[in-house]
Amino acid sequence: MNRNGPVALVFHTLFLAFLLAPILVVCVVAFTSQGYLSLPTEGLSLRWFKAIGDNPEFARAFRDSLLLGAVSSTIAVAFSVPAALAIARHQFRGREAITALFLSPLMVPHIVLGIAFLRFFTQIGLGGTFAGLVLSHVVIILPFALRLILAASTGMDRSIENAAASLGATSWTTFRRVTLPLILPGVASGWVLAFINSFDEVTMTVFIASPETTTLPVRLFLYIQDNIDPLVAAVSASLIFMTVAAMLVLDRLYGLERLLVGRGQE
Amino acid sequence: MPYLVLDRLTKRFGPWVAVDNMSLTVEKGELVSLLGPSGCGKTTTLQMIAGFLDPSAGRVTLDGADLLAKKPNERGLGIVFQSYALFPHMTAAENVAFGLEMRGIPRADRDRMVRDALQLVGLGAFGDRYPRRMSGGQQQRVALARAMVIKPSLLLLDEPLSNLDAKMREEMQIELRRIQRSVGTTMILVTHDQAEAMALSDRVVIMNKGRVEQVAAPQDAYDNPASAFVANFLGRTNLLQGVVRRDGAGRRIDVAGTAWPVAAELPDGPGLLTVRPEKVRFVDGGGVPGLVRARVFQGTQWLFEIRTEAGDLTVIRQHDGQTLPAENEPVMLGWRAEDMRVMAGEA
Repeated sequence: MNRNGPVALVFHTLFLAFLLAPILVVCVVAFTSQGYLSLPTEGLSLRWFKAIGDNPEFARAFRDSLLLGAVSSTIAVAFSVPAALAIARHQFRGREAITALFLSPLMVPHIVLGIAFLRFFTQIGLGGTFAGLVLSHVVIILPFALRLILAASTGMDRSIENAAASLGATSWTTFRRVTLPLILPGVASGWVLAFINSFDEVTMTVFIASPETTTLPVRLFLYIQDNIDPLVAAVSASLIFMTVAAMLVLDRLYGLERLLVGRGQE
Repeated sequence: MPYLVLDRLTKRFGPWVAVDNMSLTVEKGELVSLLGPSGCGKTTTLQMIAGFLDPSAGRVTLDGADLLAKKPNERGLGIVFQSYALFPHMTAAENVAFGLEMRGIPRADRDRMVRDALQLVGLGAFGDRYPRRMSGGQQQRVALARAMVIKPSLLLLDEPLSNLDAKMREEMQIELRRIQRSVGTTMILVTHDQAEAMALSDRVVIMNKGRVEQVAAPQDAYDNPASAFVANFLGRTNLLQGVVRRDGAGRRIDVAGTAWPVAAELPDGPGLLTVRPEKVRFVDGGGVPGLVRARVFQGTQWLFEIRTEAGDLTVIRQHDGQTLPAENEPVMLGWRAEDMRVMAGEA
């Protein structure tokens, strides 16, 4: 079933190489024995991975990033599910306006949000707190969660829920046993996308984070302002390895395709 | 005492009246069809009985109890949806078990009832299948089993056979009739397919623009349509414009120079004569003169288009060896007085 001509094959190969090259380069550079970012590298060593251990602020930032991503994605999803169901199935006044409002953080530059949140949080006493970080991240990742859950809810046949009701299910039971399982792929992929966006965010977070509560990308960003050594490459490579490992474990446990695409249920 | 009563049921969507003052009584064990073109209000009526839509006015009682006071999940009705609406993430058996689970029936009884229900619709071996791995007809049967297993006081069927091909539809019609006979459930069937309604129903309710045009046994409605709409909707019919007048011999209607006796009490003035295509015959004299415009062979029968002074007529004749007129041949058309109906025409 190979329908690609030679030209297409070359194009796809080059395209994939272009996508993967930076990641590969970072992984290779991380194993250098030199004191600077070098490629091709002269000797292989794990000294920069060891250096991560000597800088505990990276591990702490990593933990904070994970926690921040998990908490804010969960809040965003918990908020998006009822919002998406309401938008997908009811006609009400201000429906369009509410949809636009929820999706609007996509359109505001993060730097603007960063300055605005900095001013606002200082005003209400949330400056430099973890709660402040969570609040601001929920705002910027909400559109991602909402879009995917909305897509899943819009495609749902309303009569399936009516069928559950006619069989005696209360509205809560219908939601738990029928609606939620049916939109689960959208909810799961919405959560993952929201988490990635939260984990990845620098531009806005750099304004809001404080030395006590900061995220890994911000920590890396601040670090390379002063030092250019392979430590950042080692941290990045570790992240890549952990992501790959997490994907493998998830795939083994649940099946990535089932979780994110919603196929292969039997 | 009637079992299900719809009392002046009305549903408005803004200025649009979807169901207009609909009243109907259904006896226990009866299968009644709501029949009409799309937009006639039949599905809206069903949705109001099911509780998915709130009526603007009117009452619904089932076995003497006010149905509108209950939420959809408290009404205990079985519903088969046009799209089947099976739970895609559950197997056939899990789908059927859902309603029993909601009623808190213990596991062992539940399993037995699910097995029996699947057996009843001929799917005993398919309990472990997911809906998407089943054909349309099989999904339809699962939907039926799911609705029947809760022993509903009333079974509502919304165009249940419209997504099936012709052969499967016929099989399911027979199946449905068999199940209805053996279980005796009161059923309301919504359909736009007059053949389906006539094949399955004890009585048909013919609806148009939110109003009931006629409630009658299928054959009665076919033979004695209450309006031109009913005559046209239930099979093909010919409508001829004429004039009703009274003379010494009684009331008559003049159509294209011929006079036909009128049994109904009608005022003098414009009238409408309806006669079914298969009831019209070619006669030697004393009939309506016409010209054969076209004739089409349809296997068991011939279809004729005949032009007359009173309008075009469709005539169906059996293909049984008798000589039939050719195209462009002048003919005389006649029919028995008891095969025609006369209604007041529009002035």
